[in-house]
Amino acid sequence: MYAATATAILVTMALALTRALLGPTIYDRVLAVNMFGTKTVLLLSVIAFLNGRPDFLDLALAYALINFIGVLAVLKFVQDYTMRHSGEERGQ
Amino acid sequence: MVVIVFEIFLLTLLVITAVGIVRSRDLFSAVMLLGLFSLQIAVIFFILDAADVALTEAAVGAGVSTVLLLGALALTSDREARPKGRRLLALGVASITALILIYASFDQPRLGDPQAPVHQHVAPWYLEQTPKQIDVPNVVTAILASFRGYDTLGELFVIFTAGIGVLFLLADGSGRGARSQLPSAEAQGLRHHLIPRVVGALLVPFIVLFGLYVQFHGDFGPGGGFQAGALVSAGVILYALIEGEASALRVLSFRALAGMIAAGALLYTGVGLAGILRGSQFLDYSVLLADPIAGQHLGIILIELGVGLTVTGVLLTIFHAFAARAQKR
Repeated sequence: MYAATATAILVTMALALTRALLGPTIYDRVLAVNMFGTKTVLLLSVIAFLNGRPDFLDLALAYALINFIGVLAVLKFVQDYTMRHSGEERGQ
Repeated sequence: MVVIVFEIFLLTLLVITAVGIVRSRDLFSAVMLLGLFSLQIAVIFFILDAADVALTEAAVGAGVSTVLLLGALALTSDREARPKGRRLLALGVASITALILIYASFDQPRLGDPQAPVHQHVAPWYLEQTPKQIDVPNVVTAILASFRGYDTLGELFVIFTAGIGVLFLLADGSGRGARSQLPSAEAQGLRHHLIPRVVGALLVPFIVLFGLYVQFHGDFGPGGGFQAGALVSAGVILYALIEGEASALRVLSFRALAGMIAAGALLYTGVGLAGILRGSQFLDYSVLLADPIAGQHLGIILIELGVGLTVTGVLLTIFHAFAARAQKR
């Protein structure tokens, strides 16, 4: 049961990685990274139960709390960048 | 064992991501791919049962390193310069190194082999002595903080020195400049975006609380000063991203951060010296209290606190140094 769930999550991760590698716009990549982070939280929880170490869920909790920061930083960077180079079209 | 299959799959993804990072000329997407790389390697550490290492990777990789890389990117171009010449030489060096490493791997013991030298040397002694001498459930903490306290002290001073080095390179008095200058539109952060502001404001206290839990629960579960320092600074960085760097500096000024850096290193060294003053050796915590095991517990909590203070101070100082420098441009 846990193994099947983990397999499904891994396939989703591979799909997200494909999108992050292919792009083409910056927002595709941002979304892919965000989704990959969410899948990591799920995969860590599933593997913690699969290995019989649910006390290691701390790690999934850490990711659930701070995944958001990287994405926010990327979005802020894009905002500042477009502010500075407002004439230039970014991410196409 | 099905977990091995997962691990091979993840390692394949890891290689694909690494090739993607190297081949990408757009440094901005390379930074995002590095974030993916960090997530994958954390899961691999976790599958290998190295929860402490995985937590470090999670705390540093998910929040702090992306932010610092973006801060560096704001100061330079986001396109990688095309290398000129010397590519054949680089290829030759890389191939020869790879061949030597592959050759060396033939002598390696099988993964997880109980007869491997690493499991026969000091590891059994640590596992046997930890319940007797230190009595904490997490043997990793016992080794890191007590048995090998010298190494951790060295690590702490490496971070301390790195922080000072980055300050010398980046700051050039911008600590004063950033405080006196009026916050520009960019320094306002994401204040006018409603959703990040609400969600972020909700998350900050929980991140700091979780950081404190990781700090003081390190004897019992995965965690300790390094991870907690990274988590707390991630929380403050989130606050800075939303409310602007100036607001974050009002909470923890450059002076306070410098104090934290020095106080952490002094606390660790002070605990070590207390061991000498109580008539034993440097970093021997058993003599701190009448009961040697309670003394060990006290010593571990104090030195982990020192590590946490210094790591938080260094990470936040580097973050603010980058941010102040990007604003000046």
